[in-house]
Amino acid sequence: MKLKYFTSGIVKENPLLILMIGLCPALATTVSARDGFGMGIAASFVLIASNLVVSLIRRYVPNSIRIPIFIIIISTFVTIIDYVLQAYQPALYSVLGVFVPLIVVNCLILGRAEAFAYHHGVWDSFLDGAGKAVGFTLVLGLMGIIRELFAAGTVFGVAVTPAGYREQPMLFMVFAPGAFLLIGILKSIVNRLTAGKARS
Amino acid sequence: MSATTPQWVQGRFWMVASLVIVCLVAAFSLARVYNATRPVIEQQRIEATNRALAEVLPRATRFEEQVPDTLWYGFDGADEQVGSVIKVSPRGYAGPIEALAGIGQDGRITGIYITSLKETPGLGLKATEPRFRDRFLNRTPEELRLVQDGGSIDAISAATITSRAIADGIREGIESLRHRLPIGAGKSDPPDELDFSDPARPDQP
Repeated sequence: MKLKYFTSGIVKENPLLILMIGLCPALATTVSARDGFGMGIAASFVLIASNLVVSLIRRYVPNSIRIPIFIIIISTFVTIIDYVLQAYQPALYSVLGVFVPLIVVNCLILGRAEAFAYHHGVWDSFLDGAGKAVGFTLVLGLMGIIRELFAAGTVFGVAVTPAGYREQPMLFMVFAPGAFLLIGILKSIVNRLTAGKARS
Repeated sequence: MSATTPQWVQGRFWMVASLVIVCLVAAFSLARVYNATRPVIEQQRIEATNRALAEVLPRATRFEEQVPDTLWYGFDGADEQVGSVIKVSPRGYAGPIEALAGIGQDGRITGIYITSLKETPGLGLKATEPRFRDRFLNRTPEELRLVQDGGSIDAISAATITSRAIADGIREGIESLRHRLPIGAGKSDPPDELDFSDPARPDQP
């Protein structure tokens, strides 16, 4: 059992802050803590499920048409999560809306199918998918918390700042420039923390 | 990996067959999930509509759809009509806004509810809050314009387009359905008028 496949996805190979893949949903859907975590969990389900299926059938997937096969598998799971969210989490679905179908083209999921699950066993692929999923969800949730805190003065809809701040908050954090600024700041913090390790 | 992969996997026949098999399995599983979730999704939609209807016309206990997804009549416990609900979808700042508006028999707004909008969080999205929606209470359709347009609805600061879309959308919706709204049909009962004689304006400073 190679537990490192799981743990590396959270810190050392964090999809967003180290590998820098799957950035589009990280910028678009993290306007609030709930939306960020919601998107993270939805994408996590698809990532783990597609990793499992791809590793199961990998010996029977012809090399030349592997990408179309991966995309069919991924879009099947995305459509499933789309129906399930509509049926059981309509409030979350109404917020995530168009971003759920877009999980199909999340490069993190196709990337793990191609780079990992196609070459590894089921158990390892599950650990890899789960680790990357946790790393992805945590960063999405963190961005959602920070942006909601600055732009609305709340976290998960609960007021945490004085009423005066909530009257005139830093609204721009909720717009696209705020998302770019935040991911830049987070990335620079991570670079600072990992700089020593990378050189040694 | 190639050591354990059979030779025929890379052949031309399997290239077609494998894609067909994957598509068939995907189609069958999607059909199963679709059939399982469809009734639940329908139920959610109906419940969401019913909740919104009850919100905008609180006095009604039963609703009758007059024009599908556009006009409802509301009745109270005694089966007396107490008002109507219309659905409008004006264009907002970032996309269409869907709103329900309840209209009492005296022609005044009994409540509005935003069922879907894609406005900017922190600005236009505030239109869903009671703080904004309550500004419509007890207004006549003619008053449903922003203050700067000569009406009596205070816009949300920094979200004039959203506020205007909702106010104008509801007013125009009432005007276009006026012939189907039983407003001022003469049968207004006195308790109603007492209720509405006190103009609540919670947002006036």
